Amino acid sequence: MAVKIIESCVNCFACEPVCPSNAIYEAKPHFLVDPKKCTECEGDFPDFQCASICPIEGAILNSLGEAINPPGSLTGIPPEKMAEAMAELQSH
Amino acid sequence: MQLPVLNDAPAAKSGCSASSCGTTDNQMDSLPDSIREKVQNHPCYSEDAHHYFARMHVAVAPACNIQCHYCNRKYDCANESRPGVVSELLTPDQAVKKTMAVAANIPQMTVLGIAGPGDPLANPERTFETFRRLSEEAPDIKLCVSTNGLALPDAVEELSKHNIDHVTITINCVDPEIGAKIYPWIFWKNKRIKGKKGAKILIEQQQKGLEMLIAKGILVKVNSVMIPGVNDQHLAEVSKVVKSKGAFLHNVMPLIAEAEHGTFYGVMGQRGPTPDELQDLQDSCSGDMNMMRHCRQCRADAVGMLGEDRGDEFTLDKIEDMEIDYQAAMEKRKVIHQAIQEEMDSKRLEKSAKAAQHKAEPKLATRPVLMAVATSGQGVINVHFGHAKEFLIYEASPDGVRFISHRKADQYCGGDTSCGDGESVLQVTVRALAGCEAVLCSKVGYEPWEMLETAGIMPNGEHAMEPIEEAVMAVYKEMAAAGKLDTTPEAARASA
Ligand code: SF4
Ligand code: SF4
Ligand code: SF4
Repeated sequence: MAVKIIESCVNCFACEPVCPSNAIYEAKPHFLVDPKKCTECEGDFPDFQCASICPIEGAILNSLGEAINPPGSLTGIPPEKMAEAMAELQSH
Repeated sequence: MQLPVLNDAPAAKSGCSASSCGTTDNQMDSLPDSIREKVQNHPCYSEDAHHYFARMHVAVAPACNIQCHYCNRKYDCANESRPGVVSELLTPDQAVKKTMAVAANIPQMTVLGIAGPGDPLANPERTFETFRRLSEEAPDIKLCVSTNGLALPDAVEELSKHNIDHVTITINCVDPEIGAKIYPWIFWKNKRIKGKKGAKILIEQQQKGLEMLIAKGILVKVNSVMIPGVNDQHLAEVSKVVKSKGAFLHNVMPLIAEAEHGTFYGVMGQRGPTPDELQDLQDSCSGDMNMMRHCRQCRADAVGMLGEDRGDEFTLDKIEDMEIDYQAAMEKRKVIHQAIQEEMDSKRLEKSAKAAQHKAEPKLATRPVLMAVATSGQGVINVHFGHAKEFLIYEASPDGVRFISHRKADQYCGGDTSCGDGESVLQVTVRALAGCEAVLCSKVGYEPWEMLETAGIMPNGEHAMEPIEEAVMAVYKEMAAAGKLDTTPEAARASA
């Protein structure tokens, strides 16, 4: 049981110091979780600490491979609005 | 320590508030001596010092503990940089090295700030390690730090141990209802807290931190981002609250929101303020005190005079190879600072003599006029129109000359050679000067001359190398004498 940091991570360092299990480390091209160390914060905190401070939607997955912070959950931008804006920008 | 409130009542818009006739940076005279001493050589605070002294930022603090709706954490903290900027992250050791390299090579550099790329106080170890070492190894450099305020109360004790001469807090509201529209969440006591509840905690922490810093005698500047329709009406209240608690300066910056930054405001189409709206709010928040209007929202790794960035000269691989003898550099710096100080003092004297003389002359009854000036520093007009990357906007009126703002020459375009509908850089620059009736520079080419004239902006290259305020006043008087100022000001203001 462990969470996973994926490529959308922007290397902001925020998760690293808040992990109670010292499971997160700086790596190239982005931060990683040591699956052997990650406890999913069991026994320390009710919420995954890394995913509670991470500012990037989708950057951290749970053990089922789902985004802990799905699109729109942190920025408040409805995903269709985001898609619209990006499509608009690409057409230029 | 309680500081006197500089301007309780907003000064009447075009009127003249008791102490501020003539050139308005005399406003600094109303600060207590101890504070004036601290700010008068500070490039970010003192309007004349920013022509002489330089500042730098080091990007050592990547993490943040809140989310602002105008920020995308792919980029640097938008409270401190223009959005969409990415700085090279440094370790504290690299930051110390870079600071000393810059101090030795640009002796005018007097201030080192940590402002990002995230929130400095959300990275206490990296931030304080940098400050601790610089306080010891480069004691002639002033340190400053900017924060969103969430972690501030816990940091005050540590901050007071270093060479910190001031702290900037970004405070956008004092009302959680409004806060919830600006801050979607904060990370607090091991939890992500959303909405009004999070905003309330943030506001409480900001206010508490402000009070604690004042109690310790540390200078506090407050920045606010003006978001039309969200907090624009509310910022006058913010201004009153923070000044009554002892903040010595309240600086209002415009929201910059573009869809391509991927921020909430950008994507949702929230607009930023027009230059006019910003100026009106700045006037009502700061009265006539305009020391901070030259804030350029510089990047978290900016190096050099305000408005310039010499960061490229001090990249990591370049500073690796530099041998710095800081003791020798400090001696040299001292001599140069003294010379600058003397020059500034004599210019200040000259200026107040001019202002007094101006006061003694019969007062004109003409309307105020905005003028753009091209300068690269030293307080004189010394840049060719075509080379100006930004313009300083001054207002001339019968009360004197006052500095209003900066406008980037390419403010309205992405910096490409052409914008949108095939507009040329020149057209964009001319558009950036909308609302100005004259532009003063060292030289103007033939093509821009014609375009400026057509746009109703009088090009003027007759005052090259002259002090800005004097030249602006001279042009103003010429305009008055030519009868150009008898028309109503509305026409001029409406398009600004
Ligand atoms: S879930 Fe908890 S233990 Fe696992 S990496 Fe994140 S913070 Fe560390
Ligand atoms: S907080 Fe998120 S974005 Fe930042 S380093 Fe950790 S995983 Fe990456
Ligand atoms: S405090 Fe700065 S880095 Fe943090 S979310 Fe706000 S603008 Fe971004």
